[in-house]
Amino acid sequence: MSETIEPTVTPTIELDNLYAISQAATRATHWKPALDQIVPLLRAILIFDNMVLYLPDANTHALEVAYARVVGRGRSAGPDLAWGESVAQQVYKNGQIYLQQPQPEKSPEERLNFPYLLGIPVTTHEKTLGVIVFIRFGGPPYSSDNTRVGAFMAERIAQLVEYQHMRQQLEVMEAERQQARLQEDFISTISHELLTPLGFIKGYTTTLLRPDTSWDESNRHEFLTIIDEETDRLQELIDNLLDSSRLQSGTLRMQFQPVRLDALLKDVTMRARMHHKSLQIINNLDGPATPIQGDPQRLAQVFENLLSNAIKYAPGATVVISISREEAHAHVTFQDNGPGIPAQYLPHIFERFFRNPEQAPNVRGTGLGLYICRQIIEAHHGKIWVESFVGEGTNFHLLLPYQQPSKPSAGSKKSQLVES
Amino acid sequence: MATRILIADDEPLYIRLLQINLLTEGYEVITATNGEEALDLVSAHSPDLIIMDIMMPKVDGITACERIRQFSTTPVIMLTARGEEHDRVLGLNVGADDYIVKPFSATELLARVRAVLRRTQSSRDPLQSRFFTHSNLKIDFARAEVWKDEKPVFLSATEYRLLIQFAHHVGQVLTAEQLLVAIWGPQYREDKEILWVSIARLRQKLEDNPHQPLHIVTRAGLGYLMPPIEKEMN
Repeated sequence: MSETIEPTVTPTIELDNLYAISQAATRATHWKPALDQIVPLLRAILIFDNMVLYLPDANTHALEVAYARVVGRGRSAGPDLAWGESVAQQVYKNGQIYLQQPQPEKSPEERLNFPYLLGIPVTTHEKTLGVIVFIRFGGPPYSSDNTRVGAFMAERIAQLVEYQHMRQQLEVMEAERQQARLQEDFISTISHELLTPLGFIKGYTTTLLRPDTSWDESNRHEFLTIIDEETDRLQELIDNLLDSSRLQSGTLRMQFQPVRLDALLKDVTMRARMHHKSLQIINNLDGPATPIQGDPQRLAQVFENLLSNAIKYAPGATVVISISREEAHAHVTFQDNGPGIPAQYLPHIFERFFRNPEQAPNVRGTGLGLYICRQIIEAHHGKIWVESFVGEGTNFHLLLPYQQPSKPSAGSKKSQLVES
Repeated sequence: MATRILIADDEPLYIRLLQINLLTEGYEVITATNGEEALDLVSAHSPDLIIMDIMMPKVDGITACERIRQFSTTPVIMLTARGEEHDRVLGLNVGADDYIVKPFSATELLARVRAVLRRTQSSRDPLQSRFFTHSNLKIDFARAEVWKDEKPVFLSATEYRLLIQFAHHVGQVLTAEQLLVAIWGPQYREDKEILWVSIARLRQKLEDNPHQPLHIVTRAGLGYLMPPIEKEMN
């Protein structure tokens, strides 16, 4: 008996290993660790010294070595061994199994130079994904059973590679879809917000213009008031959209000047009370009235926004506004005893276009208000954050520095905002 | 008697707009702010026309329209936003008679209302009941709910659709093919097995003895039917 005689593989071992290979291939998410698991199983039912998997490079489409194992004779020879490169090229090109059986049997010394090669295309759905090459240094020649086991292996590899490709593509598509959804949400929010006031303006104007009806004074007044208010709403929405995109691009300039926060807050609350008679505001503004460096118009915008949020999302609640001094910063808080914001939404409420999905269907809004607030406060080198407990209420905190840094670091977006 | 119109919209300003214009034309107006309320009002006040927004809380306009069609032929006009063509098609598919795209003018609204009322006048049936009973079985079409012996029965969407096919054709044998096409679509015409499984499941939930069904009876070689209930003599 020569040493090259293949050990007998019993049908049970063969079946067990094929099953284990199939299982490893099915359960794997990445083909490399799967192959590490599969190669020893395969080696027990198909004798080879080297195994090489060639896959095309994603960009150049040229075949590259993707995986290689030396398990038998020739471990010490390393790079000098035959790796079946030209066979791989040929198999990849014509998609056919290639068998190279050197005859006659060489002497043991010459074996490394005359390998037995089995090249099998790795294909799925008619598409050649790569090539797997089995190399034997010495006989016996590959039997037809060997070829079938090799082909089975190639199919499992194809499955693994394809699966990984698909997962990668899926991830890319998921990311794109997410982006598209954000865009769509934005467009549908904006168009709904623009169309709603427009619908009322159109509806009530054409009602007034109906040729067959004459409205009494109180009706005319009612309709015109609605039209007036809806026009303001459109104006506000357009202003918010413009502000938000200017803040986003860093082109909104802050006009810094000394601002007394207590006076500004009193103004803002007085205006809010005029528009919302039922609004309960308690001002705790008796702290030190040192002015800060800020843009009064933009800060008023922030305060108005926080108040209008309280009116919208915590109707009937009492809002307590306080100022305190914290070293170099003024600390302003807006505290309400409304329904609160569920914890899972808190990390997102300052994001552009984010809206609490539980409130979004019932309360008008664009998801721009708090985003604008944060941008304005950050342009003041300040901080804004929120604390909220469902059933207890919501606190908005603002930290505003008394002094703006005199030399803003050049180049950053914030410095652009502070210049001028 | 004045023509009664039900308006359902979650925006109070739209309700006001529709109401004030319809009132000048002598219509009687009732209003709802969500789909659930609208369904209740349809069965309680039998309006002659329903004007309904699609985007409404609780039950949206499409679902509401679909449920109204289970027990009533009252004409429905859907209010939709511009660009939501998909919604308009969906609305018409579930039985809406027309749609008005927001923003709309008052004169357009009134013209559409008049046109739909004129068009549907002859074909309008008297209101049927929102409730259907078959011995110990009761269906509330407005809420898509089913009771057996006064206890709620939870049916899957397919099971419910299958049941209302029978409820709408009491005493009439429905072939497997008719049922398959009506519920699963024409590509399932031959798929008798899914119908068998669904009928078996429905019987498990509705019948006292699923092997001797009283509500959904097999007519060998023909199909299935819900037999008419003979009036009990007290």
